Formats: sequence, C-alpha cells, structure tokens
Amino acid sequence: MKLIRKSKKSKDKDSTDLDLLRTVKEDILEVVGRAGGKILLRIMKPEIAVSQSTVTKAVEKLEEENLVEIIQGKEASEKYIHLTEEGQNRADTIIEKHSVLENYFKEKRRDKREAIEATNILEHYISSEVLDNIKKLASFQKEGTPITEYTSGEGFITDIKLNGKLFERIISMGIYPGEKIRIIRKIPNAVIIEVDNKKFALDRDIACHIKVLKNENA
Amino acid sequence: MKTLKILLIGQPNVGKSSLVNAIVGSRVTVSNYPGTTVEVAEAWKKIHDTEIRFIDTPGIYSISDKSEEEKVTEKAIFEEKVDGAIVVADATSLERSLYIALQILEAEIPFVLAINFVEDAEKKGIKIDYKKLEDLLYMPVVPINPLTRKGVNNLIEKVINIKNLTNPGFKVIYDDHIEKALEELTPYIENDGKLPVRFIALRILEEDEDFFKYLKDKKIINRAKEILKEHPKVAEDIAITRYGTASFIAGKVTRITSLALTKKKKKFEERFDSIILHKLWGPIITFFSLLLIFALLLYLGNLVQGFFMELTNDLSASLKFLKHSMLSIALSQSLTGLAAGISIAFPYVLLFYLILGLLEDTGLLSRFIVNTERFLRKIGLPAKSFIPLALGLGCTAAATRSTRVLSTKKEQFYTASLFAFVPCSSRIAIIMGIVGFYGGRILALYVFATLAVAGLIWSFVIKKTIHIKHEPLLLELPPYRKPMISNVLAKSWLRMKDFVYIVMPLLAIGGMSYGILNSLKITQYVASSFSIISSWLDLPDATVIPLFFGFLQKDLTGGMLISAMGTTDLSTLLTPLQIYIFGTAATVGIPCINALVMFIKEFGVKNAVGLTAASIIYGFLLSGLLWRAILLVGRF
Repeated sequence: MKLIRKSKKSKDKDSTDLDLLRTVKEDILEVVGRAGGKILLRIMKPEIAVSQSTVTKAVEKLEEENLVEIIQGKEASEKYIHLTEEGQNRADTIIEKHSVLENYFKEKRRDKREAIEATNILEHYISSEVLDNIKKLASFQKEGTPITEYTSGEGFITDIKLNGKLFERIISMGIYPGEKIRIIRKIPNAVIIEVDNKKFALDRDIACHIKVLKNENA
Repeated sequence: MKTLKILLIGQPNVGKSSLVNAIVGSRVTVSNYPGTTVEVAEAWKKIHDTEIRFIDTPGIYSISDKSEEEKVTEKAIFEEKVDGAIVVADATSLERSLYIALQILEAEIPFVLAINFVEDAEKKGIKIDYKKLEDLLYMPVVPINPLTRKGVNNLIEKVINIKNLTNPGFKVIYDDHIEKALEELTPYIENDGKLPVRFIALRILEEDEDFFKYLKDKKIINRAKEILKEHPKVAEDIAITRYGTASFIAGKVTRITSLALTKKKKKFEERFDSIILHKLWGPIITFFSLLLIFALLLYLGNLVQGFFMELTNDLSASLKFLKHSMLSIALSQSLTGLAAGISIAFPYVLLFYLILGLLEDTGLLSRFIVNTERFLRKIGLPAKSFIPLALGLGCTAAATRSTRVLSTKKEQFYTASLFAFVPCSSRIAIIMGIVGFYGGRILALYVFATLAVAGLIWSFVIKKTIHIKHEPLLLELPPYRKPMISNVLAKSWLRMKDFVYIVMPLLAIGGMSYGILNSLKITQYVASSFSIISSWLDLPDATVIPLFFGFLQKDLTGGMLISAMGTTDLSTLLTPLQIYIFGTAATVGIPCINALVMFIKEFGVKNAVGLTAASIIYGFLLSGLLWRAILLVGRF
C-alpha cells in the first residue's frame, strides 16, 4: 500500500509544525545566536547540513514569523541575517537547551563525539519537563546511584547503561533518562518501580544498570 | 461490497481486545497480563456496504524482533496487506503509545489513533488536546471507552474512511549521521513496493536481521554491517530520538490541570501490593492461592464431570444397535475415546481457562508471575514460562503452542519438556480416579509430590547440561481492575479452540485405534512381550496395556486398566504400593499422542519423538527405582 504524497497541509501551522523545517529553523536561530545575532547569509548556510532550498525556505519562514530580518549590505551578494528581539530570545533558549544537553551527555558518555551527536538529536525533540530534569541533573554534576542501592524512594533517572535491544525495550516502555521514578519496594528477584504512573517489576540485573538521583527540590 | 483489512496495534493492557469486543461483540481475547495473546485474533464487522476485517495483534511496546509477540505483530503488519490500522493509545501515558504510532507512520500505514482510558487520565488531571494531536500526526484521533462504547461509532466511521487519508503523516527526523546512513543504504534496498524504503533502512540500522533480506546481495549486507560498525550506537540513538519525539508530541498536546490523583484507589493498590509483593508473604500467598485454585479446580471439575459423563453415556448407549463388526468397533471406540476426552478433559480445561482469565484480568496474575519467577529462575526459566506451565495443568497438547511466548527455541523446548511433570487434566484424572479412588487420597498426594520431585531433578539436570542465558525479569504490573466477564469468556473460548479443533479429533482417533488393536488381540500380544516393564515395576503383566496404550488416549487409561485386570475392584488385585507405582509410571512423561503431534508441529519430529521417548523411559525408570527404594526403606 502506497500513500499518495501530497504537499503537507501544515503550511500555516507554525506553532505545531514539527517537520524538517522546524528543525532547520531552530538550527538557524542557534547559529545566528552563537554568532552574536548577526551573520552573513552565505556564511550561515553551510553550517546547516540540509539542502540550500530548505534553508532558504526556513529563512523565509523565520522572516514571516518576525524572528529574523534580512539586511542588505553594501554589495548585492552581501546579505545579513539578523535576529529580532523575539528571535534573540528564542535563540537564547535554544542555545541554553543545547548546552544543558551537551553538558549532560558529556558527563554521561565518555566519547565527546557521541555526546555531541546525542545532543544534536535530542535538542529538537525533548519536552521542557524532561529538559528541566536534565538541567537539574547536570547542575548536580553527580553520577547517581543504581536503583538497587538507592534508598530515598523518589528521584530522577540519570542514566541507563544497557545495550541495544534491552535498552530499546526499556525506552519504549517509558523508562527514560530524566523521568521521575519512584522505587516502591525491593524484593529478592526484582525492584518494583513506578515511572509515569505505571508500575514495573525490574530484574535486579537490569535495575543495577539504571542510575537515579534524588530531586532536592521535590 | 467493499472490504477493509484493519490492524489493531498497541502496547499490552491498552484495551485493544476490549475495543474489538466493543465493535464486533465478544469474539476475541483480552489480556491484563502482558504477553498472553501470542497469536493474531481476527474479527469481522459489516457496516453499511463495508466489511471490515479486524486483525488483533499481541500487545507490544515497539515494533522489533525481540520477542515472539513482536515477531507475530511485525509479521501481521508486513505480510497481511492491510488497508490501515487502529493504534490504541493509553491517555494516562500518551508518549509511550506514541512510540509505536511513530513507527507505524514510518511504515506508512495510515491509522486512526484511538485513545483509551480518557476518564482515568482526567481523574489524574491529564487533559489531551485531540485536535492538536491530529494536526501534529496528520492522522485522525478519537477518544474511546470500550466499556461504555463511547467514541466507538466515531472510530468506526473514521476507519471506514481510512483510504481517504492521503497525507503520509508526521515523520521523525533523525540526527544527521543517522539520516546520512539511511541515505547511504537506500540505493541498495530491493524494494518490493510493500514497505517504504526508509522504513526498511531504519529496521536494518536497528539491526533487525529479518530485514537484511531486502539487501541485494552478500556484498551489500557486509556494507550495511560496516555502516552499522561505523555508527556503533545507531540503534540506541534511533530509539532515543523516537522516544524523544513521542515525548515532545505528548508534551505539546497534554495539559496537566490538577494533581488530584485518585488517592483512594492508589492507596488501596499500594497496600495490596505491599502484601502480595512482600518478599516473604508474596511467594507464600502466591503458592497457597495457586494451591487453592488447584483444589477448587479438582472439586468443580469433578462436579461438571459427573454431568458430562451421564450425557456421553446416553450417547454411547444409543449406538448399541450396531452389531459387532470392525466398523462398529471403530465407531463405538472412537466415540468412547471422544466421550472420555469430553467428560474428563473438557470441564477441567474450560474451568481452568476461566480461572486463569479471571486472574489475568484482575491484574493478580502478573504479581503471581513476579513471585514465581524467584523459583523459576532457579531452574533456569524466565518469568514468561509461567503461563505455558500453568496452561499445562489443563491440556498438555493445547498448552504446547503457548510456549511460543518465550523468546528462544531453547527456552521453548525446555519449558515444553517440563510438561512431562505438570499433570494435565487427564493425568490428574488418573491420579484422582485410580490412585485416589483405590488407594486413598494420601496416596494420590504422594503421586503429585513424586511428579514435583521428578520434575525438579529433571530441571536441575537440564540446567546443568545445557546453558540457558538468564532472561531478566521485565514486566509491567497493570493496575488492579474489575474483570469484565464477557472478556474472560471470550478469552477462555479462544484458548479452548486448540483443544476443541485439534485435540478432540485426535482423541476420537486415539480411541478408535485402541479399539481396533484391542479387537485384533494385538494389545495382549504387546502386553506379554513387554513383560520386562511390568516386572521392573513389579506390576501384573496386564497393566502394560493401559501403560502403553494410554499413550493413544490418556483418558481411557482407567477403563483400560479395569478391562485388562477384569475387575472394577482393583484394590483386591493390586497393593497400595502397586497402585502408587502404576500412577507414577502412567503420569510421568509426555502424556499422549496428541501432545506428541503438537510437539512435532512446534519442535520437529526428531526433538519431539526424542523428548517423548526420553521422558517416558525416565518415568518408568524412576517408578521402578522408587519401588526398590521404598522396599529398601520398608525393610529397616
């Protein structure tokens, strides 16, 4: 079964626009923000790793939304992209989000390249609540305690050190770094936990690879 | 007349099957224990000029190839040419449900997102903006309640119009290095048009071996493996991004209005769990609950059995007019076989499935499973093996297929081998009806205990000889719910199907072959030539007939014994010790030809025959040794 691909009906749904364009727009804001709010268009473009036409479209969108302005320089080819006040605010949040995530993953993953990759994936998708949690985690600069040794009941998941398929299974069940977790009880073969209002029995062999940190604000 | 083929997909306990029940009436199973529906159930519904065929899949958390449930669902998704799907989501944890929804979008299957447990979510202060969710996914979203049928008609309407959905829907965008790897793979993928190339490429990056077949040749498979090596954590990154996206979307459309949780229910649950999942009381309660259920089963089974016995007796009496000929023997014996099967096995099996269904739907079963896992892991079995082993108490042949819930063939075969020691209803009938009736209840209890010990010895030997990797316990504990009787009935019927359609005809055939062999005096001949067995067991030669031919039809063992010994008062011919030894020898081992047939289907001829022979020899050997041991002890 093939679906007929029609042009997306999302053209005027900016607030909820989740596709590639949104990602590119955020990346543009980030790049311009890092450059101090103003950068030559032709310098900015190669920074974004998608086709030129997508970047052009994204810039148009940003202009429409009043987040950037295009300022004509002295020469015809000299076009600057400039953040508006609102654009600057938006860029600041994105940059902050990026650094929070990057710090977090640098902490968690030894390989720097991996940390940056993970950051690049997550920054566009993560919900603000999860981000807040990660921010808290990052500020603690601590490793967290494995569930099996954790005694304070509630906390946040800081790290899941499991390999491929088990990792995916855990993630798809909603047990995820940054999520709130409540350790209900420990029995000889398992730990009973609650994440997002769901209860699970986790084998101790799994639980010892999941690290939890206490949320001091709670 | 238009026809539509619609898949039902969702995580365990999300209400897929209740939804089908609400749409078409009670015809499919519902589970409150993750992973009991391993097979695909189907249901039909005609609406206006459209016939919709619903395919209900096992509950899964994601599309992948890790467990049998996932394999079955994956197969249903890709091999049944479906027109669309209903993805059932849980309003109380939307992001988890969206994870699968995003994968279905990647497979470019149009769907309607049916959101269940809306009221539960509202009680917890969670409000979902359905319109916004529709706009994000580009797929219709319908809140439903299968219990009150709210939203069901709306859902059906959307399903009927599913072919009008032209937008392929929202796509997860992965990180650059993943997108690059996807692009790199794309030209090498042999596309048969059934699945989108991007989806196939993703599955390959997620190391789903089944999808390597889409790659043109060996060289390219190696290249794909190289790509996987270049990006070591690619499968994890894909999972994280997908979940991150699901969580992002859920965050966008959910509003937490208040934190007024249903405290009372939660408190009750916590209190209940603190007892039932207590490190000491938990296993004790589980053990005694299961024992109680078993006793109840014996008691109720006995009652129902009497009723069925009369019914079948009347039926065979009406066949008396047939004169003695091969045909009449064949006919009446197959009827006897069938009657014995119906009167002994049917009531037990049905009652057993009903009780199991109730346990599942209340949410108790998964707690019991957590507790029994402590014991199961000691004999090298994963938590999931509880279900097939429990079903084995009903009918071994019918339970064999349920071993598929286990992830590896090795685990499946090992679990199936334990059926040799889990007495099915027919073997329970031998223990209660012969050993218990002629030797007393205590003696029957000894036989049960012997089975347990024999099973433990077997499992410890197997665990020592073949290495089985411990599969860690990972189980969702569903909230306690009031069971829906119609669901329990529907589910029991689905489980009974194997018994009715496969086992019952075999029962008739078994009875018939015994009747023919008997009338040709072959049974006696066999009895005398295998006197070595009877002397090893210190039993009269004639007992070899029921021990041997019981394999054709276990339910006839009692009748065979009585006719072979020529009296209904067995206690005058056999000592209590002999009755005990007979009971043990007749019940240890893969019980009957029906089970053997199912074993062959699941594990192949070589494994099935080997296991059956080994387990029966083990049973005979053990019984003979026991007899000697008891004599030895008696001397002191």
